[in-house]
Amino acid sequence: MRCSICVFLTALVVISCVFAAEPAEKPEAGAAASQSEASVAKPEPPADAHTKTVVDKINSLNPYQAPDLPLREDPRYAETDSELLPFRHVEPFKRHFLKQMEYTGPGRSIPEPTDVKTVRIGFLGPIYPTVSAATGGRSHEESIGRQMLHGCELAIEQANAAGGYTARKIPFELAVSNDNGLWGSSGEEIIKMAYKKGCWALLGSIDGANSHIAIRVGLKCEIPMMNSGDTDPTFIETNIPWVFRCIGDDRQQCYLLADYFYRKLNFSRVGVVRASNRYGRFGIREMRDASRRLGKPIPVEMAYSLGTTDFSLQLDRLQEAKAEAVVHWGDAADSAALLKQMRARGMNQPFFGGDRTLLKEFTDEAGDAAEGVICVSPWNPQRQDPKLDAFRKAFQEKFQEEPDTYGAHAYDGMNLLIWGIQNAGLNRAKIRDVLAYRTDPWPGVTGDISFSAALDDVGEVFLAKREKGQWNYYSRKDLGLEVKSTPVAASSSPEK
Amino acid sequence: MANRRILWAAAVACCLAWSARAAEPAAPTSPPKPENPPASSPPPKPESPPPSSPPPTPAAPDELPYVYTNWKHFTVADGLPNDHIFAVKADGNKVWVGTENGLALIDKRQGKVVRSWQEKDGLPFQAVTAIEVDKKTGDVWLGLFGGGLARYSGGRFDHFNQFNSGLVNDVVYGIAMQGDNVWAATTAGCSRYNTVTGEWKIFNEKNAPMEEIWNYGVAYDGKDKMYLAVWGSGCLEFDLKKDAEKRGDPWKVYLDPDGEMEIDLYRDDGIVHVIITGVSPVNEVLWISSYFGCCRYDGRHWRGIYAHETGLPSDFTNNVKARSENECWFAHDKGLGVFADFPTETVVTYTRDPNTLRGKAEVFRNGKVLKTVDMERAVPHSFIINIDHDGSDTWVATGKGLGWAIGDGYYAGLKKDPDWMKGAVKISDPVPSSETAPAPAPAKQ
Repeated sequence: MRCSICVFLTALVVISCVFAAEPAEKPEAGAAASQSEASVAKPEPPADAHTKTVVDKINSLNPYQAPDLPLREDPRYAETDSELLPFRHVEPFKRHFLKQMEYTGPGRSIPEPTDVKTVRIGFLGPIYPTVSAATGGRSHEESIGRQMLHGCELAIEQANAAGGYTARKIPFELAVSNDNGLWGSSGEEIIKMAYKKGCWALLGSIDGANSHIAIRVGLKCEIPMMNSGDTDPTFIETNIPWVFRCIGDDRQQCYLLADYFYRKLNFSRVGVVRASNRYGRFGIREMRDASRRLGKPIPVEMAYSLGTTDFSLQLDRLQEAKAEAVVHWGDAADSAALLKQMRARGMNQPFFGGDRTLLKEFTDEAGDAAEGVICVSPWNPQRQDPKLDAFRKAFQEKFQEEPDTYGAHAYDGMNLLIWGIQNAGLNRAKIRDVLAYRTDPWPGVTGDISFSAALDDVGEVFLAKREKGQWNYYSRKDLGLEVKSTPVAASSSPEK
Repeated sequence: MANRRILWAAAVACCLAWSARAAEPAAPTSPPKPENPPASSPPPKPESPPPSSPPPTPAAPDELPYVYTNWKHFTVADGLPNDHIFAVKADGNKVWVGTENGLALIDKRQGKVVRSWQEKDGLPFQAVTAIEVDKKTGDVWLGLFGGGLARYSGGRFDHFNQFNSGLVNDVVYGIAMQGDNVWAATTAGCSRYNTVTGEWKIFNEKNAPMEEIWNYGVAYDGKDKMYLAVWGSGCLEFDLKKDAEKRGDPWKVYLDPDGEMEIDLYRDDGIVHVIITGVSPVNEVLWISSYFGCCRYDGRHWRGIYAHETGLPSDFTNNVKARSENECWFAHDKGLGVFADFPTETVVTYTRDPNTLRGKAEVFRNGKVLKTVDMERAVPHSFIINIDHDGSDTWVATGKGLGWAIGDGYYAGLKKDPDWMKGAVKISDPVPSSETAPAPAPAKQ
């Protein structure tokens, strides 16, 4: 007990130091009285000097003006290594996503309403079981959806404990919608939240198809959308200026995995098994492309229908192809089943997985077979960070469970939205602006979140290895795999 | 003499441009394979990129397109239910306006809003994103953003949604009439409703080549083809004759040949991007819009259309509406862009000056400004969402109000010393070339 108190006090001291280093972002005095953890996890109060400049600028505009603030420009998209660029021997006619997208509509001139009693933020995620169009049967993402919801609930609760929406002293409120599986339902849910429930921003979702549908609706309704759970690379490759993502995507994770396979382990024949859904299809795509571009094309890629329990066909093909290693991209339970069937056949190749393999379901079902498995991770939960410790403690206390990737990223995403609202006020376009024009990384519990010009999180991703019954996390630096790349836009031939 | 000089300069420029392109190393054969050679392989042999569309026809600087200098604006102050305009449809003297919170009817003869409807007036859902008129019956079909489909007929709204009809999804982005059929582009496929037989048919990934089912727009070419603009699945052509005769595959797919989201490998090798926002077929020519640029296809040549080399206000394009094979209007986020004369690559843009709030038109040829026209008003706002042509007039839906471009004296193509230059507008020529910035260089982004 004494030890716990010491750890907690130490954490508070460290956090106090962190905040002291950023005087403009000091929490308000007394705000944390009601909850011990609220003081460490509450949203950033307004406002640092840069954000104040942004706010002053956007508040000074008439309905016909767009802010003349500097737009972020990236030398290369998604920090792609030179050798992994598509058609790298040809300078393309045009490169997309290198300059930050703008919103040029009149939305900033809509006045803040005076009659709101709560500040609603929408949540869209798979939280109740339903029939899934993707599986043709029971939906399968509720467990991660509920983690995501819990992350959001905690962020809202802490924000309210810290005074709620400070400009009006009214609480934040989460408007929760289920998006499970049925293509198109997510679109209608977003419309309800935008037009009928009066939400100021939204967080969601996980399923790639639902998320894509949602962002197109968000674009039309003009509402900021934060995504914390869809790692499909194409999600952000849509040029929608209202969409943000605060989790490293499968592109980043596949780049790391490909480097590890071919530059570290010198594999040349990596077999792939993937779910026949959007997560599997788009998750593995960058891995497949990267392998080919590095001269080690994938010899076999087997898709399976969701609900498959017998992977004999896939394993036969992997054996025929003489795969040196196996990568699986799909749900955690499928990972476990595939792995156990592999080992039962005497297939002892190294087993790799997507980020969902990190879920507890995998280790619960795989048992001892999980030892030695390596999978990608958009964050490092072992990072020494008092913010993370406090978050984990608060999450456990409130929900009696350990936060996972989805819970932690949702917590960060919701805190980003809350920060945006606190600074911009109740105007969707301005909330978008303060987030889009933010230049400093967001110090989240999942690590620093830096937005690219495409408003995507291009922060560090990791490999997790199951060692002695626990996941250990390795960065590129730990693995000796730092990206070697030259900026594309600065080095290529002149445009045609 | 001046014309000859220009012709010669243009010819030389074309030759130089062509030889520069031909000399580029390491281009794959046409069409490019969606693969990179492996890292260890030698660089590919220098080959020519796929052929560009034919070079532009030269035109003299005093040959100018029609510029709309007479505009009227409609906003809430004029009776619209909301200023955020999603759709506009002209039907004779009636102009239907779909907004984020209601529907309105403008009488052209009176030049004013004569009626409006919101949910309290029976409109089944507040946001009207698409409008079509059945010429045979006069019924007005409305695409409702989250509310399905509505038919306004005889003063009554009939409501069709995914629970009471064959509509595949209630989030409707586009509508097209084709004979007795109403086509609805929705966020989860396309539905077709026969207004005579009452039959519904759904097109989605099960019976159409839709890699994604997120339909954004639908258009009828007036003859025998329907076109779907599909976010993530390019442009789909549906042959009505083949379908009726049950002869072969009625579908034809137009995709981005490089297959990559983050680049356009070659400008003229196909559609510019797989995320398509609109398609407008006219006289055997397809005009297509996307958030990454636009393009045109004449059945033989593709032509990628980008802001940095044409003068169009932006590549982010919400919608497209062609008037002819040579004239097409684009709804950009930074202004209205009109490809006014395709053969000569002459473009007109319309914006609202955010500071003076006056209207501005600019005439470009091959990306260079020819004329700047200052006028009392042009588009109501530079964020353009939808467009409909109405004879010589054009209606423009924006993020803040509806614009009526009145086309008195309109002409297609180019004309010397046109009448619009004599109106109440201030025209300025570009600064002499020695003082100007370099010609707009293609930007890499």
